[in-house]
Amino acid sequence: MTKLVYVCDGGDCAEKGSVELFETLRAKLAEIDPKEQRLRLRKYPCFGGCEHGINITVWPDRVFYSKITANDLDDVVDNIERDAPRIERLCGHVKPDVEEILWQMLDSPY
Amino acid sequence: MPHMEVDLDTRIPNNVNLKGDKRLLRALEHWQPQFIEWWKEMGPSDFNADSVYLRTAVGVGKGGWAHFDHVKMPDYRWGIFLAEPTDDRKIHFGDHVGDQAWDQVPGEMRNRLRRLIVTQGDTEPASVEQQRLLGHTAPSLYDMRSLFQVNAEEGRHLWAMVYLLHVFFGSDGRDEAEELLARRSGNADKPRILEAFNQPVETWLDFFCFTTFTDRDGKYQLASLAESGFSPLAYSTQFMLTEEAYHMQTGENGIGRIVHRTGELMREGTDPRKVGAIPFDIIQRYINFWASMSMDLFGGEDSTNAAEAFAMGLKGRYRESDGIYKDPKALGQNYKLSVPKNGGMTEQDVPLRRAMNSLLLDAYVADSTRIVNRWNRDLERLDMDVRISLPDKKFHRGQGVYAGYWFNPAGERITEEEWNAHRDDWLPTEADSAYVKTCMISVREPGKFANWISPPHQGTNEQPNDFDYVRFH
Repeated sequence: MTKLVYVCDGGDCAEKGSVELFETLRAKLAEIDPKEQRLRLRKYPCFGGCEHGINITVWPDRVFYSKITANDLDDVVDNIERDAPRIERLCGHVKPDVEEILWQMLDSPY
Repeated sequence: MPHMEVDLDTRIPNNVNLKGDKRLLRALEHWQPQFIEWWKEMGPSDFNADSVYLRTAVGVGKGGWAHFDHVKMPDYRWGIFLAEPTDDRKIHFGDHVGDQAWDQVPGEMRNRLRRLIVTQGDTEPASVEQQRLLGHTAPSLYDMRSLFQVNAEEGRHLWAMVYLLHVFFGSDGRDEAEELLARRSGNADKPRILEAFNQPVETWLDFFCFTTFTDRDGKYQLASLAESGFSPLAYSTQFMLTEEAYHMQTGENGIGRIVHRTGELMREGTDPRKVGAIPFDIIQRYINFWASMSMDLFGGEDSTNAAEAFAMGLKGRYRESDGIYKDPKALGQNYKLSVPKNGGMTEQDVPLRRAMNSLLLDAYVADSTRIVNRWNRDLERLDMDVRISLPDKKFHRGQGVYAGYWFNPAGERITEEEWNAHRDDWLPTEADSAYVKTCMISVREPGKFANWISPPHQGTNEQPNDFDYVRFH
């Protein structure tokens, strides 16, 4: 199944550099999957975890990474690409309800 | 599709090669003075001679949409910008899934598409008209600038829709473009098409609720059109979404700053009413009103129109192209819709295609819940027990399956007598409106804010809060 990687580009995350981070991640993922057959990278308007940005999520894995910097991207790519264990230091920062709302929107029964 | 080179030298900045289509250019140059006249008559009242620190779109690429400068609003360069086209774009939902996307309007879809574009286009000038007097009571220069930014960009969104009408719908489209400037918000004879856009936006509490909830409906409508198999519409709306995000953030932060201010005052033991701030119960009633009015904009929960627009490939589900749905044709599945029956509620299976408006509304409700939760996290930090809530989607509805029935804000069905007994607990009263108006005092000293709202965490475009966002003539 295709994985969707969302980078938040809401106001707070954008101010912390999510736009540049998106471009860097795009370049890294393009090396692995240039035609987006397995990994699709998209921007997301806001996840609601603003105080813990920059936030990145991976669906359908239900991974919600927070406080991401450029230094974390290799680990993130490793996790996404090779299904390596999720990176605990980047998980669990936002409240469960923030995560749950996002999964509700993405886990469409249709 | 036209090449995406940006032309800033013509009277109408664009990336749609207007220079190469003299007939279209003449038609739009004919419409432009009418638009400016409309702006002077119905745009922000009395501030046309002042210089406002506005972001102007000069391109669609990185940074191109965010060029800041002090400009007089009538000199703002409303341009026509489409998002970068995608190579070999395919229709990705509905009956035509997998077919090449259309660069021209298929004949059998002409009327439906025109109606979609006109309805979307009508909301853009409508909101400017609704908000035209707010500049006089701006709580700060920072907020005044935000208001005018929103207004200017709604004007640009009108241009985007007018471009489509002129290019693809011939004389009918030109007539519709003129009508967009002829209707007036709240006018009994020539009202705007959708009811929420005929409601008065008299105070900044209304404005922030409007930009939080009503503009958010706009986001979802634009997002569903951005999936369209008709590529020019998809590219227009994709770029509009970039600007729309700012409008919603204006609202979300605005209400958040009001909630924060009231929370701060109450924590220190001050009655908000004694110092010209806005009590929580009033804030909640305004949220109830604007959220429910905005939910009406999604249309009927069970809608053959929505089913046909989806089947034709004109209007997709939210984030359809991301591939989060199991079946791009949406066939053979049902949506469980809770509907009133006798004195209670029952679940009804609605064929999924007919429930497209419901699906979009569900995404909107989840998004709005996220925002309300964000405000509540701030109240938690302030050690306040009070919480803001989003009214249930059945509450105070004038459209769809819940219209004509009575529900409390929690979504429980009630009698008309119960409604009448509690109506003033749930929706703004005349006394609320009168009180909120007394709070609306104009603050024009840089860096100062009215007492009912907290300053923002940071200024616009990394400017300080005491920046002169508006320079008065």
